[in-house]
Amino acid sequence: MGAIVAQLLHAALSSATPIALAAFGGMFSYHANVFNIAMEGMMLMGAYYAVYGAYRFGHWLYGMLFALLSGLILAGIFSLFAIVLKVDEFITGIGINMLALGWTTYSLRATFQVKGAFISQSIPAIPKIRFPAIEKVPFLGEVLSSHPFLVFVAIAFAFVCHVVLYRTKFGLRLRATGEEPTAVASVGLSIGRLKLWSAVLCGIFSALAGVYLSLGYVTLFSENMSNGRGWISLAIIILVRGRPMSIMLMSLVFGLLENLGMLLQRYAVPPQFTAMLPYAATLFVLYSYARRLKSA
Amino acid sequence: MSLVRPISQTILAIAFAFFVASIFILLHHSSPLEVYGALYQYGLGSWFSFSNTLNAAFPLILTGLSASIAFMSGVVNLGQHGQFLWGALVCAVLGVYLKLPSWLGIPALAVLGGLSGAAWAGLAAFFKRKYKMDEFISTLMLNFLAEYMTLYLATYPFLDPKAYVPSTRLIRREYFMTNIFDVNVAFFVALFMVFLCWWFVWRTWRGYEARMMGYNKLFATVGGCDVETDTTLVLLLTGFLSGLAGALLILNGTQHRFTKGIGANFGWDGVMIAIMANNGLFQTLFYALFIGFLKNGAVGMEFETSVPSEFVLFLQSIIVLTLVGTRSGLVSLTDWLRAKRELGKLVK
Repeated sequence: MGAIVAQLLHAALSSATPIALAAFGGMFSYHANVFNIAMEGMMLMGAYYAVYGAYRFGHWLYGMLFALLSGLILAGIFSLFAIVLKVDEFITGIGINMLALGWTTYSLRATFQVKGAFISQSIPAIPKIRFPAIEKVPFLGEVLSSHPFLVFVAIAFAFVCHVVLYRTKFGLRLRATGEEPTAVASVGLSIGRLKLWSAVLCGIFSALAGVYLSLGYVTLFSENMSNGRGWISLAIIILVRGRPMSIMLMSLVFGLLENLGMLLQRYAVPPQFTAMLPYAATLFVLYSYARRLKSA
Repeated sequence: MSLVRPISQTILAIAFAFFVASIFILLHHSSPLEVYGALYQYGLGSWFSFSNTLNAAFPLILTGLSASIAFMSGVVNLGQHGQFLWGALVCAVLGVYLKLPSWLGIPALAVLGGLSGAAWAGLAAFFKRKYKMDEFISTLMLNFLAEYMTLYLATYPFLDPKAYVPSTRLIRREYFMTNIFDVNVAFFVALFMVFLCWWFVWRTWRGYEARMMGYNKLFATVGGCDVETDTTLVLLLTGFLSGLAGALLILNGTQHRFTKGIGANFGWDGVMIAIMANNGLFQTLFYALFIGFLKNGAVGMEFETSVPSEFVLFLQSIIVLTLVGTRSGLVSLTDWLRAKRELGKLVK
């Protein structure tokens, strides 16, 4: 029983990571009062370019570089439309998600000559970290050991983002942009530039989530492989009102649920039902959030 | 005058989008002229191509209408995909087991498909009304649930054992819808729905309330609109339209059965069409035909040139972005110019 629980937690940590990373990205936009829903597309693009760079140049670092560049480009497009041209943020987000889906599906076909998924032995994955010291500890060792390092980066980011948001000048200005833009403008700061920064951070974090998805969680790229994770991260941000620690915690809950499904599959529950769990859970969390609002 | 500006904007934006796309075609070592030529040839060039474009457009018209009416009313229904799937599945399953004469069976199946879409959207409406859950996220999540549920039903209880991919059995031959001069009857149904929706939105008081809700929810509430009922109604109606699209695709498509992946991208295409159309109903019809043309032409483009048909999905998103960018950019530009002129007057 203990072994199963340890396995479950290990897997939960693993599937919570992309959701948490994307949610950290969206969190900056949330605080700047930018309704950014492009995490899904940025994640997908990051996942594609991670595989592209890593496969082409033979090292996962190139994958990360390419993915981050793709995230920056999408952030640039988002800013161009939403901030400069003043297109509705929601519409821009949907446009970017479609752009990412269309471009990755097309490139997959045009570059790798495959439909559906690109799988190869020669895609270098992100190295897994082992802690010799912790590995000996019976339960903890099994949960924490041999994860791709991005898992720990995500956990560390929960603290870093907290400090950045609530203890730095930048964080204060960002939150002020969201709450009272005129106050920010009155002290001579550019609202557009702060919003641009929030978009750039969203691009970087979502791309990292993509890297983890295609080089850490699995080592392949398949069409539309983000599969709604960006939307789930958006739901989380709204639910916890953009608090970094709570984002990490909620992501873990979702990771746990996703893998509870895997566990249920052993007891002959059809895979289609277990695959529904994270989405059903989002609905349920939304429901309990609404209940809490009502009683408050 | 009021018509000239939007039309010229549209032409400008589409031309710009095709220009941007041709850069990518050049990067793919193909000639843009050849690619667009093939797109035209297979999308509009002959009656055969043109009728195929109309046939490709009917689900898009319906999902586009669904999204347009929802957004126009300020109801963010993004659940077209799930509603579409339920409409298709219910229609496909009943089409196998229900025994009715075709004159009664076809409309009944279409309406039942639409109603199942409405029921799925009704779930979101229930969440919204009872628990104040935002329909934006709940419809999205319901998409995923619908995807897996319908797939389960097509894989286990209603599986056709002879099929290679998970799919239901072929519907009864009496329920195959016919074509008029190679054009699907479903296309005319979709056209009829455009007019019906126009009538609802512009000629009924419920439609008026829905529009007011879209302009300003507070104003609508203060003005005495029953906003909650209106929201529910809009969700049900838009769910019905998406479900109808799914049902008609079963009755009048090429497969006449529910297969894995039948929903394709119809849901999101509908959302994009609504965005391009700025939620106007007749504009929705136009852009649905345009996207249908691209989709239909894409098959020929892949056949004639080395550019894969997936390119069209990318082209579509560029067109959406340039269109909204041009529209919004022109407005900002004219505002800025006007402000500058006013300032000039003041300074003088």
